[in-house]
Amino acid sequence: MTHWTPRTVPSPLLGAGLAAALLTAGHRSSATAQSASSQSSIVIVTGQEAPMPIPTLMEGAQANVANFEIADQLFLRLAGLGADLTTAGDRGFVPLLARAWTRRDSVTLVFQLDPRARWHDGAPVTTTDVLFTFARARDAQIAPRTANLLRHVVAISAEGDRQVVFRFSHPYSEQFYDATYHVAILPAHLLASVPATELARSEFVRHPIGDGPYRWVRSVPGQFIELTANDEFFLGRPKIHRVIVRVASDPEARMNLLLGGEADAMDNVPPPLSNIQRIAARPELRLVPVPSPALGYLLFNQRLPGDSNRPHPLLADRDLRRAITLALDRGLLIRVVLGNYAEVPFGPTSPLLWIRHGAPPPLTQNQTQARHLLAAHGWSDHDGDGVLDRAGQPLSLRLNFPNTSAIRRQMSLLIQEQLRSVGVRLELQELEAPVWVERRKTGNFDVDFSAASLDPSPSGLTQSWSCAGGSNVAHYCDPMVDSLINRAILDRADPREAWHAVLRRIEDDAPAVFLYAPTYVYAVNRRFRDVVIRPESSWLDLWRWSVAIPTGSRETGY
Amino acid sequence: MTAVVDTLRRAWQNPRGRAGALVLAGVALAALLGPPLLPDPVAQPDLLHGVNLPPGLGHPFGTDQLSRDVFARVVSGARVSLAVSVLAMALSITLGAAIGLIAGYWGGTTDIVLMRLVDGALAVPRLFLLLLVLAAWERVPIGVLIVLIGTTGWFATSRLVRGEVLRLREESYIRAAEALGAPRRRIIFRHLLPNTLGLLLVAATLGVGEVILLEAGLSFLGLGIHPPTPSWGGMILEAKEVLVTAPWVGVFPGLAIVITVLSADLLGDALRDSIDMWRA
Amino acid sequence: MRRWLIRRTGQAVITLAVAVLLMFVLMRAAPGDPLTRLSGDRALSPAEIAVLRARYGLDQPLLQQLGAFLQGLLRGDLGASIEYGRPVTQLLAERLPASLLLGGTVLLVNFSVGLWLGSRQALRRGSAADRWLTVVSLIGFATPSFWLGLVLAWLVGVHWRLLPPAGMHSPLLDPGSGFLANGMDVVRHLILPALTLSLVSIAATMRYQRGAMLDALRLPYIVTARAKGLSDSRVIWRHAWRNAVFPVITLFGLWLPVLVAGSVFVESVFAWPGLGSLAAAAVGNRDYPLLMGASLLASSLVVLGSLLTDLAYGFLDPRVRLS
Repeated sequence: MTHWTPRTVPSPLLGAGLAAALLTAGHRSSATAQSASSQSSIVIVTGQEAPMPIPTLMEGAQANVANFEIADQLFLRLAGLGADLTTAGDRGFVPLLARAWTRRDSVTLVFQLDPRARWHDGAPVTTTDVLFTFARARDAQIAPRTANLLRHVVAISAEGDRQVVFRFSHPYSEQFYDATYHVAILPAHLLASVPATELARSEFVRHPIGDGPYRWVRSVPGQFIELTANDEFFLGRPKIHRVIVRVASDPEARMNLLLGGEADAMDNVPPPLSNIQRIAARPELRLVPVPSPALGYLLFNQRLPGDSNRPHPLLADRDLRRAITLALDRGLLIRVVLGNYAEVPFGPTSPLLWIRHGAPPPLTQNQTQARHLLAAHGWSDHDGDGVLDRAGQPLSLRLNFPNTSAIRRQMSLLIQEQLRSVGVRLELQELEAPVWVERRKTGNFDVDFSAASLDPSPSGLTQSWSCAGGSNVAHYCDPMVDSLINRAILDRADPREAWHAVLRRIEDDAPAVFLYAPTYVYAVNRRFRDVVIRPESSWLDLWRWSVAIPTGSRETGY
Repeated sequence: MTAVVDTLRRAWQNPRGRAGALVLAGVALAALLGPPLLPDPVAQPDLLHGVNLPPGLGHPFGTDQLSRDVFARVVSGARVSLAVSVLAMALSITLGAAIGLIAGYWGGTTDIVLMRLVDGALAVPRLFLLLLVLAAWERVPIGVLIVLIGTTGWFATSRLVRGEVLRLREESYIRAAEALGAPRRRIIFRHLLPNTLGLLLVAATLGVGEVILLEAGLSFLGLGIHPPTPSWGGMILEAKEVLVTAPWVGVFPGLAIVITVLSADLLGDALRDSIDMWRA
Repeated sequence: MRRWLIRRTGQAVITLAVAVLLMFVLMRAAPGDPLTRLSGDRALSPAEIAVLRARYGLDQPLLQQLGAFLQGLLRGDLGASIEYGRPVTQLLAERLPASLLLGGTVLLVNFSVGLWLGSRQALRRGSAADRWLTVVSLIGFATPSFWLGLVLAWLVGVHWRLLPPAGMHSPLLDPGSGFLANGMDVVRHLILPALTLSLVSIAATMRYQRGAMLDALRLPYIVTARAKGLSDSRVIWRHAWRNAVFPVITLFGLWLPVLVAGSVFVESVFAWPGLGSLAAAAVGNRDYPLLMGASLLASSLVVLGSLLTDLAYGFLDPRVRLS
């Protein structure tokens, strides 16, 4: 009998060890072989797949950031937002498919198409394409979301091959934005024969043909999309030749790809803060802060959870809402969870939005004042359990937050502790994301940890903060806010000051605690130059980036 | 009854069995008595300078992302993790053994019906059932959680037991017992059950570890223990994002799980020896 | 035997049908909805939601939706995914190869190496080797898969840079660079996820096999055979396996679905493009058509596993009367 000890390596393991040695050897050599040919390529790692990057016709679940960001490489709008993202008037907008525009009267805009614009198959971009695209985009059966955004556009017509005329229902400040931002133009000669309902199964989705700086090469499902430079791009030839957008849904996997040298760039470095430090420690990587349209806030339900006809027994009271706001040290929350990469917002806005500039500073923490406010309303700790009570009722609220956000989870735990110190009990309820949304939608919550991605346009504020707003799930209603918003939308003289009045009023009324407006941090390999990352669509300017001439050999960055 | 006492006594005399039992008892005792002596496991004493501190004098296991003491959290997390895993595992092993024995021994239609039910139950993703519970309860009580895990965890065990019983009931000594007119109860408890105990002990050991991690997964769905109450599995999940930069946050609760599973395994192995002796 | 097989297959089909019905109902009864989810942060007007509901047939009564699903199923059409906007069959077909590769590798390793180690442990019970293998395998088992996966990915992929830390193909490798180069590329990506999944699960095969083998070695004729000096491999392969093989077969049947279900955690930690992560995302999105498709695939393997198990019982031990 052979005596079996662990020292004798079992044969299958030995084989595996040998194989591993061979394979890792192969990995090394291929890495160096690749780096030469890949100097003008970029591998971007992101968290979400882009299964249907067809602009304008992405509806429902497909209208997501991932699809938009790929679509923006392939397809062009008539004009692009300027660097300061102003949506009122046409100041700052840059020519894309339209090389020029004029205003005929208060409700008519005329666009001249650039004659150099070509589809990737060589066909010219004409007014036929514009009319075709807007016809689809304005059809509520085909594109309900876009059709709603374009509701003030009453007619679009062509004057020859190069001139398009937009007519609006009434004069307002964001006509130009509406005509250009929501719709990227699609090729009529390829899509006119495809019924809208068949688009998802069409060849066009598998191999989109656009007019943008990059052309489609291939998609490897669940892994990456490959694009290649459109050398005939009429606005200038892209300097980076090959673009790979790699998907890894797990944030740690994304970090590993970046730090392992398998990716050159990463959007929105995931929490915690230590990830930013890990990237900063890498000589070949650079951190690029990008202002974001995101906003995190604690939303107070004005009505009884589950019965929207009755007021919330605690939160309908403005003073209680203000006391909670005063009890929180938002600066500390941000410092612990987001470091320097966020600021306390003023009202429901972010520093990215043009209306935020020049707004006053938000309330700062004042726990003494919070305690006074609570005591004045009869709240005190009669039974000595550390929780305030009134008429036998403890001051206890439940906070719902989704399981998909590490930031909100951490913040919730911090908020719970801060409120505990003024005697307010906050029960935390983490929920699977769809369940969280359902409870939010149906008003089944006390406090909801919301996060919004704000539109560049402030008119989006009506959705959440006006009495009849479509996503006003907390049933917040202040007629004063409504009238201020209406005034601001129509104000063509000084819209910013008009919007500030809206923000001030909302801050005073505290329908929510506006916690953080984050700055996203991107990581980009240092060999890329002229790096500009756009807040409204990260890689929009990628075609203008350039690549440094390498000095000596380099192991990483393939 | 004396057989059971004898078995336990022999297992206790086995040094490895005793070690396993003592460690488990020690963990349970620490969980019961420890927390009052330790820092508050949910307090966040120093968010600016006390976050992610490595193990040291003040904090033997270091601190986590919110400056909470990891040692205090491991000790008090044992309450939830041990209670849930032991109770849920006991429930699911009992159910699995019972269903498996019945299906395997009775055979025929009973077997067909029970096993097709088990197939069906395995075929429907467990997650769906658990999500339903979220619809029914605003906030799920811990007792419900244990029952939930226990009653949805026995399917595989029942198939394993049934497979063994199918084989065992054809063994000559059981045939002989049947021929001699031994009552079914005697055959089941005297012959079949002891012969599947080895398998059940393995299932139980592995089950303890599985349930501790499952509980964490469930609390992530809003079904388990609510934050900030610590549990081992929950601590490991929370530590995922600091795995490389502050490994101690997750390693210590992980070690606690490993130690618990290993002790349960030692105990199980000793019990198996002692049952073997009793049968011999 | 043939009659048994026909009857047993019939039962399997019925089980599967009932499971499908149950899944359909449970899924819709679970809180959450594929479209309200979308209005969480950016509101859709009720009119927009109505259009989308109609597009995906969600405005029909439940029974009618079920009818439509079953009709499609007979034609081999599982509908279009709400999240991806593309046919479910296409999505599943795209992800299946990755799942089969990872799941197949793990099955192979667990049921060769695992069984072999478990048997050896039983034969040398109480030896240092037995103890060490017990400790190591249980540490593996008690370790969450994402944890081990992240450690391996970081250590091997980032720190040492020996193997790619995630993915299945190197995107910069020219797809036309030949079968060998592409094959090596996939294998390099496969090693870490397969190793992770095996390490965290092999304890099950090892422990059950060790236990079953211990039971078998206790049988009088095997004790006699060993006392006569028969070699270990002879003892195992001539005699003991027949008594120790049942739990292994059952376990294999139970493990069969790993071929399509994989492990969600391992897939996502290694960005492995398998069905597990696709299905998990479908749950999070309440993407009913995709979820039904993925579950159907997994359930079929569950039922098939059970069928094969019963078949193997009868085949390996003719004494077992299969009812």
